[in-house]
Amino acid sequence: MSSSMLASAELAVPRLVVGSTRRAAVGAALLACACVLGLLESSLPPLLPAPWLRLGLANIAVVAALAVAGRRTAVIVAMGRVFLVGLATGTLAGPVTLIAGAGAVASVGVMCLLESFGTRYSMLGWSAAGSAAHVLAQFGVAAVLLRSSALLSLAPPSILIALCLGAGVGLLARTVVSRLPSR
Amino acid sequence: MTRADRLLVAGIAIAALLAWPLAAVAASNDAQSAVIAGPAGTSMLPLDTDTTVAVEGHLGSLRVRVEHGSVRVVGSCCPNHVCVKTGAIRAPGSVVACVPNGVTVSIGGSDDVELDARIR
Repeated sequence: MSSSMLASAELAVPRLVVGSTRRAAVGAALLACACVLGLLESSLPPLLPAPWLRLGLANIAVVAALAVAGRRTAVIVAMGRVFLVGLATGTLAGPVTLIAGAGAVASVGVMCLLESFGTRYSMLGWSAAGSAAHVLAQFGVAAVLLRSSALLSLAPPSILIALCLGAGVGLLARTVVSRLPSR
Repeated sequence: MTRADRLLVAGIAIAALLAWPLAAVAASNDAQSAVIAGPAGTSMLPLDTDTTVAVEGHLGSLRVRVEHGSVRVVGSCCPNHVCVKTGAIRAPGSVVACVPNGVTVSIGGSDDVELDARIR
């Protein structure tokens, strides 16, 4: 099977959403998954030698939402997760949530843009590019908050690591989506 | 992964690789000192003198230690302690950030900020 046929098969995911009730149920389930994965990840030890980076496990739910329920649900899952995890960890009013929110906006924005090209980009591509955008936005906001452009020197190596982690997350999301019931 | 995916990822990776040395150079003007920037102002610590100083942040105090030409945050009141886990830095342009406290510690890279104090 050629790579283009593989990509078409991979993206030929039947949208689960056929009505507003179904959309709300799928969105809520994926939002719950994103929150659990986000909280689970926050309890894992840091990724040395870059302890400021995260695996991005919660993005599995966002990529899956984009694949099976569309852009609107993906945005709700991404932003809802930032709000709920911030609320649960007590960091909602602090700079950490502001940085996480900026990363989520950039990430889901880039992924929605790539999804709009149809079958040209796969879930791996969405996730890898979204992960890189997430890191770049976070460093940008952190540099503004801390008034230090020195922080941006960490961005290029972090983006390279984020590309690999994002592709891994995309692979996991593709596996999850392939096992979802079509009806 | 589609061909477009591979091109996209390669493009981002090349852009990051090209930006890497530029970002490091921009952040390192003077590699002889550690620059500590925070809510209380900006100060410099010479790297050739071992010392430990307390730095006030938004949440409380951090302890920053200069030792054998490197600098690290050895204690912080922040929730996740990412700054402590980052460990010691010594290369020009390297940086440790404690976002909850609003404090950065970098090697050189005065960042065009006028210094409030020089610590000896």
